[in-house]
Amino acid sequence: MAVTTAALTISSSDLVGDALSLTTSNTLNKVGSTVGIDQTTGMSVVYLTATTNIDVFPTLIEGSLAFQDKASWVYICNKSTDATEFATITISGNVIGRLYGGDFLWMPWSQSEDSAAENLHGDIELAPSVATGMWFDWICVNEGTEYPDAA
Amino acid sequence: MATINATLTLSSGDLLTSNLAFSVASTLSTAGTATGLSKTSGLARTNFTNNPIQSKILYRSDDAKSNGANKIYLKNLSTTAAEYFTVFIDQEEMGRLYAGDWAFFPWTAVGGTKETFIATIGGTWVAGETWEFDGVLVTAADTTVANIATQINGENFPNWTTTVSGAAVTFTARHSVDTGTVVTATADMVIVQTGGSDATSVVSSAAMGVATTSDIMIVPSVVTTIDLEHMLFNE
Repeated sequence: MAVTTAALTISSSDLVGDALSLTTSNTLNKVGSTVGIDQTTGMSVVYLTATTNIDVFPTLIEGSLAFQDKASWVYICNKSTDATEFATITISGNVIGRLYGGDFLWMPWSQSEDSAAENLHGDIELAPSVATGMWFDWICVNEGTEYPDAA
Repeated sequence: MATINATLTLSSGDLLTSNLAFSVASTLSTAGTATGLSKTSGLARTNFTNNPIQSKILYRSDDAKSNGANKIYLKNLSTTAAEYFTVFIDQEEMGRLYAGDWAFFPWTAVGGTKETFIATIGGTWVAGETWEFDGVLVTAADTTVANIATQINGENFPNWTTTVSGAAVTFTARHSVDTGTVVTATADMVIVQTGGSDATSVVSSAAMGVATTSDIMIVPSVVTTIDLEHMLFNE
């Protein structure tokens, strides 16, 4: 087993009356256990030049839910330095939010079949706001990935 | 504006043959600007103890700016590895937070449409007659319809906000929800008359609400006590 740690700090001295200083971390474990997650897609560094929706992790196979409800963690960062450039992040076609320049997300991913049963299987998709070129980083740390057959 | 800094660090010495170690920092700003976010729900701790298991809407889209650069932080405070919260956005399952797990993600908070209607106070009123709607009872202080409308507007309704213009009170639902094919009607308001008056409260311009598709909903995995820590940063 591997030991992978995700940590977050959020701080502000002027958001509320008292200083905000939040620190948390957790070790990424397999579902309901203390056994560490041992697989990852690796970090992707991506340059997108169209506003088309793309499937961030396209390795799910239609009709198979082998990794539904397993432990999967997703990190996506919009590396743009232009504050007006954003990426719209969706799951199963439902918008989660917009990552503006410099924003990141860290979220669990169930890979569940979508509520409309359209076999999107929890696809996480990303659409850049501009076609002039935007950089992104993303990685999935997970219990396993099902790859499509070559056939 | 406020300055809010968020930093994520992901590290592992043995997931790969090469160390995994990266850190990313972000200053939370309003959409498309360098102006810092300045609003927050505050850091909250919510207990879930329900038998049978029940979901809770943690954040309603109506409570944050639509398409804003809002951010949500969640953490499962349980120490039992098997206990988890399932996080939904509208009806779509995002993922599960097991004991100690946390998440930090953007939120568009796209709202729906709030039901609205106008109630016009008319006819002849007698002081002491009553008007009732949404569990709120108003007793007419005099016979002037504009004054009675002002009295109604002065009340706090559990499910509605109001404005008044003359004898017309405009009601707007507090939340965007689907009301099906039924909107609020004249018959939903109860007037108790005395002395043979013909007091009326006529509903017009009623428009149905449409639910949001962005509410954040949480479902615990157990009926026993389990706590979630959460915070919303919003425009």
